[in-house]
Amino acid sequence: MKTVIELLKANPKVSGYKINIHNKESYELFFVKGKLETVRCTDTCDKEVTVYADHGEYKGDAQFFVYPSTTAEQLSQLIAEAVDKALLIENQGYTLPGGETGEFTVESNFSDYAPADLAAIIAKAVFDANEVEHASLNSVEVFLNKHTETVLNSRGLNKTQVRYDAMVEAIPTYNGEKQSVELYEQYNFASLDLDALRREIAEKMEQVKARYEAVKPGFPMDCVCVLNKQELGELFGNIARNLNYSTVYAHSNLFQKGEAIQKAPAGDLIGITMTGEVKGSVRSAKFDSDGMSLGSIRLVEGGKAVNYYGANRYGQYLGEAPTGSLPCMLVDAGTAGMPEGAYLEVVSMSGLQVDFYNDYIGGEVRLAYYHDGTKTTPVTGISISGKLRDVLEHIRLSAQTTVYGGYSGPEKAILSHMKIF
Amino acid sequence: MGFSEFLNSRRDAAKELVTLLKKHFDYVSVLGVDVKAKSIQVNRNTSHISAGRDTECGFVVKMSNGSVFFEYSLDDIAGDLPVLAEKITGAFNLNPALQGNTIGTVRLSDEPLVRSFARPHDLAEYSEQQLLDFCKEQCAALLGKSEYLLNALVGLNIMEVSKLFVSENRELDQNYSWVNGIMVAIYRENDKVVQVHDGANYHLVGKVLEELPTLCDGLLHKAHMLTLAKPIVPGVYDVITDPSITGLIAHEAFGHGVEMDQFVKDRALAKEYVGKYVASPICNMRDGAAAALSAASYFFDDDGVLAGDTQIIKDGILLTGISDLASATQLGTTPTGNGRRESSRRKAYSRMTNTFFEPGTDKLEDMIASVKHGYMLFETSNGMEDPKNWAIQCVAQYGIEIVDGKLTENYVSPVVMSGYVPDLLKSISMVSDGFKVIGAGMCGKGYKEWVRVSDGGPALKVKVKLG
Repeated sequence: MKTVIELLKANPKVSGYKINIHNKESYELFFVKGKLETVRCTDTCDKEVTVYADHGEYKGDAQFFVYPSTTAEQLSQLIAEAVDKALLIENQGYTLPGGETGEFTVESNFSDYAPADLAAIIAKAVFDANEVEHASLNSVEVFLNKHTETVLNSRGLNKTQVRYDAMVEAIPTYNGEKQSVELYEQYNFASLDLDALRREIAEKMEQVKARYEAVKPGFPMDCVCVLNKQELGELFGNIARNLNYSTVYAHSNLFQKGEAIQKAPAGDLIGITMTGEVKGSVRSAKFDSDGMSLGSIRLVEGGKAVNYYGANRYGQYLGEAPTGSLPCMLVDAGTAGMPEGAYLEVVSMSGLQVDFYNDYIGGEVRLAYYHDGTKTTPVTGISISGKLRDVLEHIRLSAQTTVYGGYSGPEKAILSHMKIF
Repeated sequence: MGFSEFLNSRRDAAKELVTLLKKHFDYVSVLGVDVKAKSIQVNRNTSHISAGRDTECGFVVKMSNGSVFFEYSLDDIAGDLPVLAEKITGAFNLNPALQGNTIGTVRLSDEPLVRSFARPHDLAEYSEQQLLDFCKEQCAALLGKSEYLLNALVGLNIMEVSKLFVSENRELDQNYSWVNGIMVAIYRENDKVVQVHDGANYHLVGKVLEELPTLCDGLLHKAHMLTLAKPIVPGVYDVITDPSITGLIAHEAFGHGVEMDQFVKDRALAKEYVGKYVASPICNMRDGAAAALSAASYFFDDDGVLAGDTQIIKDGILLTGISDLASATQLGTTPTGNGRRESSRRKAYSRMTNTFFEPGTDKLEDMIASVKHGYMLFETSNGMEDPKNWAIQCVAQYGIEIVDGKLTENYVSPVVMSGYVPDLLKSISMVSDGFKVIGAGMCGKGYKEWVRVSDGGPALKVKVKLG
């Protein structure tokens, strides 16, 4: 990179630069019906150079990648081409973040293990978690990643962070006299907690047995729905995306700062904070791709949008303080327990559809538990739908919280005004 | 432009690396990938020219010792090759807990073949200045057409793919292009904001530049109608699908279920239905990189297997699935050229390419006229597969109500189709004589491993649950 920087500094048309280096080392195991099928290793490094060219009132930028084979002569050519492209771009000016330097590590215990050993430990825990008779894991994939990310720019910023993440994709299957059934499980974690991993897989094994036993209900269901962490991450993530600087700048946001998301709240008031790090989240980071340090900002308070958030450039365009691209979302817990009386607890969906444009929430349910007040019946073959704004106004959030991907918040939510069909 | 000079410069190294690793493994191949992509986008406020998301350059070495597969992804194979071979070999010292618990005997085939492939393209004929100017002009033209537009975006995503495959007996290289043009409108009218898009997708820049400008008026009409759209009343309806929704059904409802790595894992119900009726007898479905010229058209797959054209369903009967080299070997079948990777850094799986229903003989107007009350559905939003249990969820951007055999002005949005795959496919009662494959899709396996795909077909008449 020293050569690149020297060449960038030597080009008078280059008014600024940013270099992103991402080294990724991975170890991956793939199992088919409990047997090891494939072992993969990756050792790769992406080096992306962004060239900025100020011209008149405008700022232009263009990118290129540097490969191990790229020669100094080619670099000069790539820089010249990038300058030419940047000079075609007539964007509003902005300032790159500057000054900060440092080396950081996002908390994880993965570095205590050799990757091959850690992957084997994780795989063993996954298979050992299955204690359900007639259930099996037809496919298990284990991914371990170590990311070393460096950002440096022409304003003296130079930061490096090390992040770890792991992902288990497992397909729990239940085999009986009827047609066998399966569920899909993706579990992401940034620190090894074998008990949590076993609990997650064991719960899925119980759920796949329930799917096997599930029936299409032969009666109309008119009751509240309970959604779980995966769907809640999708629901609240949609609100957060609407309040991102880039969305606001593109005029595609549906909520303005100061506007009520819950116009006539009759349930728990929604509160959302965007932040850089959440313990255990694979999205946690110390800084974003611009090198901006990541703190926290309150986005939604009492059901009302109170702030926007987002990357350096679009923050400056809107005249707002850039927060950086905050990857984690904290949603306030509520006070609700499980509903009294009849309710449908949605366990697995094909994918929750959340559409603020059309005021729609719904999707196909692969497994749910119908509680009639006295007994619980697993059901399948149904769909749910509702008016999104009605649902949000009446939403009840659990006191119990959880972490799922970039979401940290209520483990469950009670949705009324949903149609089950 | 043309086949990657970088990959050409690594051809001999790839051969030598194969020779060195063959001392330790039964099977060795090296896949080199060099994708030059660029994205040009203009909206009301900003513009950019950037390296497109498909940009990559790297290698993956695939090996087998007869009982398990190994893959090593890296940036380059230059330098001291004996040292590199030793490093790769050393990376696969299995944890003792895993030794002896492998899938068993597998022998990947390596039939001799040396060939170069190229699909002519016109990427060199257009400078970045020209392409940026085109996007600026089209964006301004679109914005000038309606006072209700909050913003508009016009973009071009262009990629040139070079791949080199070397094994002990095979040496293949290919070079081809794909271009996606997109037009997006963010539109506010009737107290409602909607976001609509349309696109043009070809292997030639010139055809995309020719078609994109013709889409403006239709895009704005769609935006206007969608501001008036109502939610659909959930229920089971007679439905006519446009080619995009037909393709979505082909892809999500059935395509994922015939990816044969799922057969190996006993994850696909389709495995038990080969040779049986799974659809209406007027239903025919195909997949293949060589079956159509679209986003997933290549000459050989990431396993070095030549592109195929696979008839999956013939007259309603399931004939076969689609496979990568590893799954075909384990099943004792012939690989169909469907081994695809998200990038050189990801594993190869059995993946769809260009997936579609074949045209029939019905006229679209007769199909619409045959519906007493139902909907015609348009434009894929998303979908999710369930290959083991054949549940489906396919989401259309919008539908138009059909009453007494005529399309009305009543739009509904969004529309979620759900149900049981055989019920849906066996309900196909009419198939139009029209045909279109749409090359703008991205497909994941589960929630990862994204690859470019196309899908489509004729219009279908089906009965399905909408919500």
